[in-house]
Amino acid sequence: MSGLGLLNSDSKPLPADDEAAANTRQWHLASETEYRFELDPNSSLAIKLVHGQAEIFGAELAEGNTYVFGLECKAAVYTWQGCTIEVTGQPSTEYVSEETPMQVYANLVLALEQMRVRALRAFHGSPPSSEEGPDPDPDPQPPRVLVLGPGNSGKTTLSKMLINYAVRMGQSWNPVLVNVDPGEGGWAAPGAISAATITSPIQTSTPASTFGSAATSAPAHLTSNALLPLAYWYGHAETRRNPLLMDRLIRNLGENIWERWDNDLGGRVAGLIVDTPSSFAASSGPNGDHRHALIKACVDAFRINVILIVGHEKLNVEMQRAYGNRIAVVKIPKSGGVVELDPSYRERARKHQLHNYMYGRIIPPPPGLPPTNVLQGGEQTPDLTLNLAPSSSIVAFGDLTLYRIGEETMAPTSALPIGATRVVSEMQPLLVDPAQPGSGLYNAVLALLAPPNPDESERYDEEMLDLPVVGFLVITTLDIPNKRMTVLAPTQGSLVGRTAIVGSIEWQE
Amino acid sequence: MSLYPQPASPAFGQMAYASQPYSQPMLPQAAYHYPAAVQPVFHVDSNMFRRDYMARLAELTVNSRPIIQNLSMIAQEYSRFAEIVAQCIESHIRRVLPWMKLPAFYLLDAISKNVFDPYARQFTPLVVRLFLDTYEQVDQNTRSKMEEMLLTWRTGAPTGRELFGVVPQVAIERHIWGGEATQSAASSSRHTAGSSSISTAQVLSELEFVLSQKERSVVANPYDKMAQNHVAVLQQLRKLVQAGVSQEELGQILTQLRALAQPASVPPQLTPAPIPTQSYPTQMPYPSPAPPAPFPGPVEQPTYPLPSAYSAPSYNVPKSEPVNLSGLLAPQSLPVQPTPPSVNPPISTLAPMNSITNLYNALLKAGVVGATGTPTGAGASAKVEECRPSDPVRDAIRDHRKAILAQKIKLTSADITRQRSNIVDFLYNRLPSQCKQCGIRFPDGPKGKKHMEDHLDMHFRQNRKAGQAVGRGYSRSWLISMEDWIHDGSVDVKGKGRADGRILSSSAAAAVEAAKREAELQAQYVVVPPGDEAKSISCPICKEPLKSEFNEDDEEWVWRNSVKRDDKIYHATCHAEATASKSTLASRLRNEVSSSRSRSRTPEKQQVRTPPKVLVPLSEESKKSAPSSPSTPVGTKRKADDADGPGTQDSKSDVPPLKKQALSV
Repeated sequence: MSGLGLLNSDSKPLPADDEAAANTRQWHLASETEYRFELDPNSSLAIKLVHGQAEIFGAELAEGNTYVFGLECKAAVYTWQGCTIEVTGQPSTEYVSEETPMQVYANLVLALEQMRVRALRAFHGSPPSSEEGPDPDPDPQPPRVLVLGPGNSGKTTLSKMLINYAVRMGQSWNPVLVNVDPGEGGWAAPGAISAATITSPIQTSTPASTFGSAATSAPAHLTSNALLPLAYWYGHAETRRNPLLMDRLIRNLGENIWERWDNDLGGRVAGLIVDTPSSFAASSGPNGDHRHALIKACVDAFRINVILIVGHEKLNVEMQRAYGNRIAVVKIPKSGGVVELDPSYRERARKHQLHNYMYGRIIPPPPGLPPTNVLQGGEQTPDLTLNLAPSSSIVAFGDLTLYRIGEETMAPTSALPIGATRVVSEMQPLLVDPAQPGSGLYNAVLALLAPPNPDESERYDEEMLDLPVVGFLVITTLDIPNKRMTVLAPTQGSLVGRTAIVGSIEWQE
Repeated sequence: MSLYPQPASPAFGQMAYASQPYSQPMLPQAAYHYPAAVQPVFHVDSNMFRRDYMARLAELTVNSRPIIQNLSMIAQEYSRFAEIVAQCIESHIRRVLPWMKLPAFYLLDAISKNVFDPYARQFTPLVVRLFLDTYEQVDQNTRSKMEEMLLTWRTGAPTGRELFGVVPQVAIERHIWGGEATQSAASSSRHTAGSSSISTAQVLSELEFVLSQKERSVVANPYDKMAQNHVAVLQQLRKLVQAGVSQEELGQILTQLRALAQPASVPPQLTPAPIPTQSYPTQMPYPSPAPPAPFPGPVEQPTYPLPSAYSAPSYNVPKSEPVNLSGLLAPQSLPVQPTPPSVNPPISTLAPMNSITNLYNALLKAGVVGATGTPTGAGASAKVEECRPSDPVRDAIRDHRKAILAQKIKLTSADITRQRSNIVDFLYNRLPSQCKQCGIRFPDGPKGKKHMEDHLDMHFRQNRKAGQAVGRGYSRSWLISMEDWIHDGSVDVKGKGRADGRILSSSAAAAVEAAKREAELQAQYVVVPPGDEAKSISCPICKEPLKSEFNEDDEEWVWRNSVKRDDKIYHATCHAEATASKSTLASRLRNEVSSSRSRSRTPEKQQVRTPPKVLVPLSEESKKSAPSSPSTPVGTKRKADDADGPGTQDSKSDVPPLKKQALSV
């Protein structure tokens, strides 16, 4: 059914096909090469696998299906054994590269897979057979990987690839993917850190929600499009804004993952991959102290046993020194395909991500292609299932209790005058009064928190910091005289919580 | 006749819509095709009727027996307006909120069964769409009720055939459970299964249905050990199925279940012989003076070549042959062992119990020789299963491990850059079957095939769902709660069991395991020394007093849930926990594995001397507390039994939270 109605460059040109044919090129890729492309803001691209085997960041393409890409997507189609692809659309850059670090990544994948099978064997309690050789480790652990690297080194892509290859092993692995880069936001909105179990390869189609997306009420064909993340709200794109809070949230995330694994020993053997923000690797500088604390928080919270360092010699040495005695620290080459991204690009990606969270996103296929019969992010009916309807509703100020964590502008302690101490600690929730002018709430993204523990006696002051996010809201209008505000919520119906936290993330449609 | 073929029992009285709501009121009218001329009310025109009926329907917001009864009586009276009634009901169901749909469906069900002609005819063209649309919208609990209703439709017609005909029945069943199995189910030769594919979901659903019947009869008759036994066996069967069994076994189980379902609905022996109108509800509304048929559902006869043992006692059929049901399971041993015709109820009550045990044992046996099934049933422990050398799943895992470990790669910066590995083999060559739609690959072998089938089913369902909802609009869901996220191992957010039935999600298996241990501990008791009955003794660990009770089997006072160690009497659970917490979690897990292996074949009758009470969930609490606070079992009060009802305990112990409601129908 997939190929029906699609253009075929050999067939007699129909009127509609004319434009497409002019737009369409075939690329023959030799084995172990990749076709790289970059898109301009308002263009889209369609790729069809005509023959052979191809994959995008570890997710295999199905032959004969057309995949669309958009929103300045920069990606690569890699082939292990050679393929022919048909590309429709006008990318700003496209070329075929023969130099990829994929062979290294493959070795890495297999090495991690060895850890998984050993852990599984130990979990089953079966002894190693003779030809497998004795177990080097008496208590084999599944891989729990921390990916570190400077900006624009391909950390996120590597994490995605490692996860995709793991779920493609045919062993029903369900590893956990953790995103502690608040600038990216994972499956939630930017400003959050989150974790989700992955059971099917994550597709690539836009830079927004690059790790797949959170569940909607629509039926999803790939489970990576209906993920059930656990998210905590940090509220800022930069980790240095409030490292203490970040530290605490990372530990919360780790604790919950381990609690989940206590209930699911089988899930534990699949391990986890942690994608980190580039600030973790920022060499020296004024924030050197907090990044070590945050790396340590990750290592402790997720019980990391493999640290991958993408393209950063000095960091590698540093980590070898700090953790080399108990954790495998491995240096990974950076892919030549990584594109330098400017801050404004990341800003746009953040915007897309929030738009995607609220409204979903349908990428129009490039001119000439029919709007149906294309796959976007692996979804077969993107026009139906990726088109979401948020709801805008008016709530009274009293219906939502808003907080901000710490001071609005948090100067680092070192920047305070000598001898001065903070009036407000970093972790203190401060009530925000929307009626006050200058509350900074207009267009602010709010994280709606899960209801606190119903048992009064279990409550504690900073409990709010440990509550996961149930959803994100945006304040679109503030009506101070009437004490009302309009909030955009992802779904209809009443809000599921009454407490929300404001950060520094804003969004305007 | 009614939704629940089982005649009234005390438990039913409490249900709003009980087993034969219409029997009494309708009997006098009893006709389904009288001429319109004799209609008592003749001045009604169709428009008025429509308006009136719509208005009355609007009152049907809760599952209220009187309303349903009333509405179906009106429908019967005005059968000339059948078309209008059908339209009204359809539009009502489509319009109302999801939680109000089920009562309306009960009405549809009631009318169609009671006034088969012309109503079933009227509903037939629309029932498939209506059922499936509703099914999509309602929650899991309602779904299971709808499935239950659907099962009764198989034999809902007065002829005992499908209420709305074979085609709609099959269409609905296939949509809900997938696979082709239902075809054979719905066709008149229902004995066959296993030739075509049967989905686990379907078997489970039918199992739930039978199980809920049994559970109701246990509630009605707490002393009916036979029924209790049935429940226990069925519950184990459920675990067996959940753990994953081969197609053949599924087929066998299905056959057995269907055999069980009907006869089992006969009231237990303890109730007086039912009056005829009650025991043959199917015949009731039809004026023909139905001669007492030997079986409640007349069609059952051709279906099951061997008369099932259960039906015999209740109906006192002279020629009842309690058969060893294992005969059904093993074709080569088809020769039935005939026993003397039992006219004597007390004797024949035993027969079902035996045969259900046989059924279970036979299934176990079949499981041993079967493709994937090892005796997972009793313990349902995935770990046990994987220790079996002949298991293809296990073999596949081992194959993969061997191949992976054969790659000589070390996780060092130097090694991974130097080596050239053959990852293509793992990504492509070893996974030959590929989904043409999304490119996901599956390994060969039974498990891979099953995954692929499930995956394709999923595509089919998703496409259908996506197509249906054009213009309805979707939205991003709220994220799930932390609690759900942590326990999401076996159930996804929408409450659907995860299709691929991941065998490694050991939490369920561990919970079952733990629950079983707990049951055994609970069943232990110490006989109270004569004269000490009034003395109150406390457990040295938790300081709670031991509860004494009279054991009716031994006619002695006993301390339930207790053990005697070094002249001290402890709660068995406290003692076990204290002992266990000394060892590490790992060794405890190993113990679980080994003990479950030995236990899995032990009939549970041996251990449990009292009616098998179901258990307190040991799993969550102890699992959390044991590793963290190894030496402080104090304060974890988990003594006994009486506080929690069997239903809640059971569902807690072995199923994920969301599925809970589905079980306790």
